[in-house]
Amino acid sequence: MIKLDVNHVSKNFGGLLAVNRVSFQVRGPELIGLIGPNGAGKTTLTNLLSGALKPTNGTIYMNEQRIDVLPPYKIAAVGLGRTFQVTRAFRRMTVMENLLVPALAMHPAARQRQFVEKAKEVAEFLTIDHLLNEYARALSGGQQKLLELGRLLMLDPDFIILDEPFAGVHPKLMEIIYEYIIQTNKNGKAFIIISHDMETIFTLSQRLLVMAFGELIADGPPAEVRKDPAVIEAYLGSDSDKPWEPKRRAKRNGSKIES
Amino acid sequence: MRNMKLLKTLTWVVGTGFLIILPFLIPTRMHVAVIALYYAILASSWALLAGYGGQFSFAHMAFAGLGAYTAGLIGKFIRFTTAPTGLCTEFSMGDWWLVVQDAGSPTCLETAKAAMPVGALIVKLPAWLDITMGIIVGGLFGLLIGALVLRLRRTYLALFTIAFAEILRTVINAERDITGGPGGLKVDPLFPNGLTIFGRTFEAADKLPSYYVMLVLFLAVLALMYWLVGSRFGLFIRSIREDEEAAASLGVNVVRYKILLFTITAMIAAAAGGVYAHFVRVIAPNMMVIKEMSVVIAMAVIGGMESLLGAAIGAIIIEFALEQLRSDITIGSFSINMTDWRLVVFGALLMITLRFWGNGLIFPIIQRITRRGVAEETVAKRVQPASTPTAEAPVMEQEVEA
Repeated sequence: MIKLDVNHVSKNFGGLLAVNRVSFQVRGPELIGLIGPNGAGKTTLTNLLSGALKPTNGTIYMNEQRIDVLPPYKIAAVGLGRTFQVTRAFRRMTVMENLLVPALAMHPAARQRQFVEKAKEVAEFLTIDHLLNEYARALSGGQQKLLELGRLLMLDPDFIILDEPFAGVHPKLMEIIYEYIIQTNKNGKAFIIISHDMETIFTLSQRLLVMAFGELIADGPPAEVRKDPAVIEAYLGSDSDKPWEPKRRAKRNGSKIES
Repeated sequence: MRNMKLLKTLTWVVGTGFLIILPFLIPTRMHVAVIALYYAILASSWALLAGYGGQFSFAHMAFAGLGAYTAGLIGKFIRFTTAPTGLCTEFSMGDWWLVVQDAGSPTCLETAKAAMPVGALIVKLPAWLDITMGIIVGGLFGLLIGALVLRLRRTYLALFTIAFAEILRTVINAERDITGGPGGLKVDPLFPNGLTIFGRTFEAADKLPSYYVMLVLFLAVLALMYWLVGSRFGLFIRSIREDEEAAASLGVNVVRYKILLFTITAMIAAAAGGVYAHFVRVIAPNMMVIKEMSVVIAMAVIGGMESLLGAAIGAIIIEFALEQLRSDITIGSFSINMTDWRLVVFGALLMITLRFWGNGLIFPIIQRITRRGVAEETVAKRVQPASTPTAEAPVMEQEVEA
């Protein structure tokens, strides 16, 4: 069973406390949403989980193995994969080459041709199979997001972190990404999904983590989180009766926060 | 696809055939031809490092210098004898002695000869062995520099390698007793006793054998590099060039592959330097100046940094063009000394290339041929009924046969 244990993790950048003593556990193939206003520490937390950043304090264990001391490539080998807020496809490599990189990195003794068919299947599933020989830079922003998801399928991690998978994506492609998440979750993978798309994240998630000012202020089923006064107050403003519905702007402590 | 393979094979055969018969086409330009191949090795290996791997090193000529000076210094100071000299620094190796004529007493072996038993042998290392030693030394330095600096971001590598190249050049300049300083270091020819092939005898000073040695090295290096870029190594270094963080998150050991790439290209440069030293027979620290490095970079950029073949062709064409441009140009009563002005032409070509053809002049032509039909294929597939997400997401097989 997939196990992730985040214990009192903090991260300082000079005087800024970006993540403050965050703790949570994941057991099994959960589908978790991670929300919070801009600057809440969501991306920093995912960087800590994937090894791109090292925590100032605290520990992270995955499947009983301590991963916060490991470099990112070893964390990937342990079974944690991620996408980035801004798409990071290998632009001067073809779609096929993009898909082969993680598969070959995970299987040092295997040959390229063993994964070519798999890559074709993945591309077909994500409806980018007609682009296999094109350079990734020729793909649209949404297609590049699909390519990132394809690379994760080739990496085949147990635990997947998606940072803003729906941002700036055409509704048609959004459906495909939605389908990807549901299907992959059914195949036994756990997810943490960061999104500002409240409607989608509330519908998709089985569990919601809410961050504000670097702290985890709520953790529970979406129905409960919706009613949590701390979430309403800290995240979207106390005047909101339906905080999960997107608003153009919410006022908090006199400052404007993009929803 | 099959046509493409045939085309590639044909290109290789024709290209190699052309280089093999080149000495018979331009018998008076053999010196330029050897130097052109030397630059082709350096430019293509630098293209592998910077164009494929994204690691901008300015120490490539320094590694060539390391290879050259290692070969030269071994030839100057190291001998194997069948009897001890009693005067030089020496180490027993079974029936043989490894003799080092240290800089403090450079004539120790000459002096000791008289006292050595009649028939005692004094042997120099063959050229191929001191070139091999140069490759090893180049690799060790590459490994050391890589391990020190490649964990850091790219700018640091550029600054670090400039410093390394300048330090190495300054040390060689300063240590006159050992290296000969700015006056240069004499190196034996590749075949000191000449060479007889197919009944034809070549003197030690003949350029033809050196041309074919450099050609074999060039082809071997090119084949090795193409094999590397076609393997997982090539995929990984390109993914690192594109985005180190993303590559690492997908399981690529970024530091390991960067160091490996740096070491391999350092060894290739050292190999080229070793053969070059035996060809020109006098090497000087000037071979490592930043201007020389700039020439190699410019050759790779003009040819196409993302293509090994493009960079190599670029280097060969530019070397011949630069030599051609040495002749003065006379227009009416004006005479232009092109020895200086040719570099201006070269610099202008570099600037124009960077401004208008970022991928170089040769690489786009190669790409046009190798990627012919890709766009049409994409369009053809796109007009077919669009595929929809399948019911089941693909599941990776955990066990893969080795």
